Amino acid sequence: MYDFEFERPRSIADAVKALKTEEAIAFSGGQTLMPTMKQRLAMPSKVVSLTAIEEMRGVRQDGSGIWIGGATTHATVARETKDSYPALSSLAARIGDPAVRARGTIGGSVANNDPSACYPAGVLASRGVIVTDRREIPADDFFEGMFMTALEEGEIVTAVKVEVPETAHYAKFIQPASRFPLTAVFVAKYGDGVRVAVTGASESGVFRWTEAEDALSGDWSADAVDGLSAPDGSDMISDLHGTGDYRAHLVKVMTKRAVAAC
Amino acid sequence: MNAFGKSQPVTRREDARFLTGRGRYTADIAPAGALAAAFVRAPVAHGDIASLDLEAARGMPGVVLAMAAADAEAAGATLGMGFTVTSNSDGSKGAAPERPFLARGRVRFVGEPLAVIVAETREQALDAVEAATVEIDERPVHMDLAPGGPALHAEAPDNVGYDFGLGDRAATQAALEAAAHRVTLRVVDNRIASNPMETRACWAEMEGDRLHVCYGGQGVWSLKGELVSLLGLDESRVRVTTPDVGGGFGTKAMNYPEYFCVALAALRLGRPVAWMADRGEGMLTDNAGRDLVSEVELGFDADHRITAYRVDTLNNLGAYNSNFGQLIQSHLFSRVLTGTYDIRTAWMRSRGIYTNTTQTDAYRGAGRPEAIFALERIMDRAARVLGVDPWELRRKNFIAEAAFPYRTVADETYDVGAFGRVLDRAEAASGRAGFAARRRESAARGRLRGLGLSYYIESILGAPSEGVTIEFLEEGARIYVGTQSNGQGHETVFAQFLADQTGIPADRIEVVQGDSDRIASGGGTGGSRSVTVQGNATLKVAREAIAALGAFLSDGGAPAAFDGERFRMDGTNEAPTVLEAVARAREAGRADLARVAGEARLPARSFPNGAHVAEVEVDPETGEIRVERYTVVDDFGNLINPLLAEGQVHGGIAQGLGQVLWEQIAHDADGQLLSASFMDYAMPRASDLPFIGFGTEPVPSTANALGMKGCGEAGTVGAMAALVNAVEDALWDRGVRDLSPPLTPARVWKALGEADDGRFAAQ
Repeated sequence: MYDFEFERPRSIADAVKALKTEEAIAFSGGQTLMPTMKQRLAMPSKVVSLTAIEEMRGVRQDGSGIWIGGATTHATVARETKDSYPALSSLAARIGDPAVRARGTIGGSVANNDPSACYPAGVLASRGVIVTDRREIPADDFFEGMFMTALEEGEIVTAVKVEVPETAHYAKFIQPASRFPLTAVFVAKYGDGVRVAVTGASESGVFRWTEAEDALSGDWSADAVDGLSAPDGSDMISDLHGTGDYRAHLVKVMTKRAVAAC
Repeated sequence: MNAFGKSQPVTRREDARFLTGRGRYTADIAPAGALAAAFVRAPVAHGDIASLDLEAARGMPGVVLAMAAADAEAAGATLGMGFTVTSNSDGSKGAAPERPFLARGRVRFVGEPLAVIVAETREQALDAVEAATVEIDERPVHMDLAPGGPALHAEAPDNVGYDFGLGDRAATQAALEAAAHRVTLRVVDNRIASNPMETRACWAEMEGDRLHVCYGGQGVWSLKGELVSLLGLDESRVRVTTPDVGGGFGTKAMNYPEYFCVALAALRLGRPVAWMADRGEGMLTDNAGRDLVSEVELGFDADHRITAYRVDTLNNLGAYNSNFGQLIQSHLFSRVLTGTYDIRTAWMRSRGIYTNTTQTDAYRGAGRPEAIFALERIMDRAARVLGVDPWELRRKNFIAEAAFPYRTVADETYDVGAFGRVLDRAEAASGRAGFAARRRESAARGRLRGLGLSYYIESILGAPSEGVTIEFLEEGARIYVGTQSNGQGHETVFAQFLADQTGIPADRIEVVQGDSDRIASGGGTGGSRSVTVQGNATLKVAREAIAALGAFLSDGGAPAAFDGERFRMDGTNEAPTVLEAVARAREAGRADLARVAGEARLPARSFPNGAHVAEVEVDPETGEIRVERYTVVDDFGNLINPLLAEGQVHGGIAQGLGQVLWEQIAHDADGQLLSASFMDYAMPRASDLPFIGFGTEPVPSTANALGMKGCGEAGTVGAMAALVNAVEDALWDRGVRDLSPPLTPARVWKALGEADDGRFAAQ
């Protein structure tokens, strides 16, 4: 690890100010950033911790939806949404291991937009909105590609809002080493349509499988997925743990299983 | 009760220390103010060092020493590390190219050390490593496990380090040609990392004019010997110690370049120097395990009795010869070549291939798991091809109980065995009779169920001799052992064993290990040897001590008899304990009776064996394998502590299943490591593993006084083939034939798809 300054502001305004320093970086749970820094793969001048900002923490009802503070840990989300949104609770409860869930946060996860992270699929399928220190961004516009988001320099994810569907399920097939999703699918059925969001598979990061959404909006059944061809494997990640074709195949299998489990 | 002890399932006394963070490992006890060492390593897999500039590094804050190969030589060190070569089948010796502990002129694998930098802090040392500049004129790499390609060493122009043969080549060829049935199989044994929980570490300091090196190893004497030879020190000036060790698995039995660099730095600076590998450094530089491919063939007569066995192996040595790199897949593999079967005609060829990768060497089992994996895979395959029951094919070919002692084609003499009896027991314990129903139930859920058997035998290796010193104290005793616990529970077992011999409570017995000053020689841990060889020596020396005390007590009369707790003497009601007898001896000026030392050599090897039965369920849609049931019945002979033996089996099975299901060291075409962290290298986790049904069917060894057989590596030896055979059983009807491990979901799915494609094509 290289030397760095460390700041732990108490308000969003102070955090925004602290992040104006050249090469400063926001630190939410640090579950990606810390290993990266320990391997000397990142050299921030200043690390700005968001964990002491009370206004960024907690889970509450927000009209028909749920507001989750950006600095809320996975463990808290898992616990607090158990009744209000069981599928999201289950997603949070299956991220990493207890240590990761005690530190990692939803804001950090969506801001990082790891192509194999769980939350981007849950938020995208749940018609999520990303709240920042300066605006609100619909999830559809927020996730722009592998590790890329609509966030501007120094912009902080202060909260995430999701709509609670009629029913939903997150089907995750893990990569054996990292236990991140090799491919995972979050399906959410709303009164006016179905959303299917896929993580772990695509070179472009989290995406909506619109063919499946159309099919399921017309016929909410696992059989409806059976009739579809898997998405094109050539756009999928190929690595030690699986080819693009395998991931494309898993997209279909996991979608079917998610629907069947609803 | 066994003749030599009580065989109690005593829990481990060291666990409370380990589980509450009070273990003391190498890095925990580094001297205060120790300098930190870090290494400049080869960034590419093959090339000539055009320049290596350490000047900028030397100028960095906190740096006190930067040393490359030439600097080490100028300081009087010899760079070439030691190793043992095997014999070629033509009688010549295997290739012996130099393995310098700092690269000289050329680099041959990514991570090879080029220079050591020592600074006041680890961060400063790492900063200085980044300031060092190295230019390499790259050469083409040799990554294929095959002869030929760009040569790594002038001593092996075709990259073949050795060409080992055992058995009768011509007779085997003739027998195969005459066989009624011939079955062939290509068996891939994947390259894996041991990833001990504690990474490799060492520190060195001067104690007056003596060098003290502390490191996490499997025995202190081999490193001491090589420090003496490479650094040119007198033996009396070197002390090596080993504290608690967080897992060795063979990987830590070997000497590594870092140890000599750190020792030399401490010698030159006169200050303590410490190094501990981070996980990535360990993955890059620890010796790898396995990494071989074997073409195997069995010949059968019309009645399905084996008439010939042939093995042709290519084994990856890595870039240089590690300590025993040439021996593992040649000599050690051959010890159990023919397993538990009556095979009179066999030929084994094994060639070691240099590639631009880190060295390979012993990994839990060291050659025996590889031999049994090949044999038990082809036994199962043969049963399928011949259309017979795999259990019956084994029974038919087992060495019969009446045939012991049985001399194998590898010139090993199996002392005893009751393979059929052990297998019967495993058949009942595994619930094989209910398998068909379980398979139907799985099929109803769209899952493919399979049951696999492996019958293994392993040979206890390592030095057959071991020494021991027993010191009787006022309130207890101390036992100095030549083995080395790496976490297996030696403290418990050796104390328990001595307690059984002397009647001194085990909690008053201190086990001393891992200090070349306190223990002059020893064999360390490895080859499943520790409990048997140490027990053998302790039994002999404890008996001598008791006899001497008995003679002393009787004062010239008939020696007092010892009943395990007290001495009984004619004509008196006095019945002193061992410690009371020792106290009397001290009073009488016979303090010599309070300290006894000796050595014992195992008269012959012993051969643990047993049956592993795995039952798996495969999800054909995803390729995922779940291990649903697992049953082992072992013949370990007599056991000192059945609980710890079972623990060894559990851990061994985890490593065996880990290898064939998930683990894989992977490189790209240029020799860069792809599986460089736990994000990409999959270790088995508790939740992946089934509960293991464990039983023993002991047939005491006649090769040692204890009747013991050893158990440390047995779990791994048996597990690999049992699991792969179970998967083959599950997928055979779907047409899957290539089951090269690791059987990750992606590979299984691909194999299923290719089998389906093949069938469609055939139609």
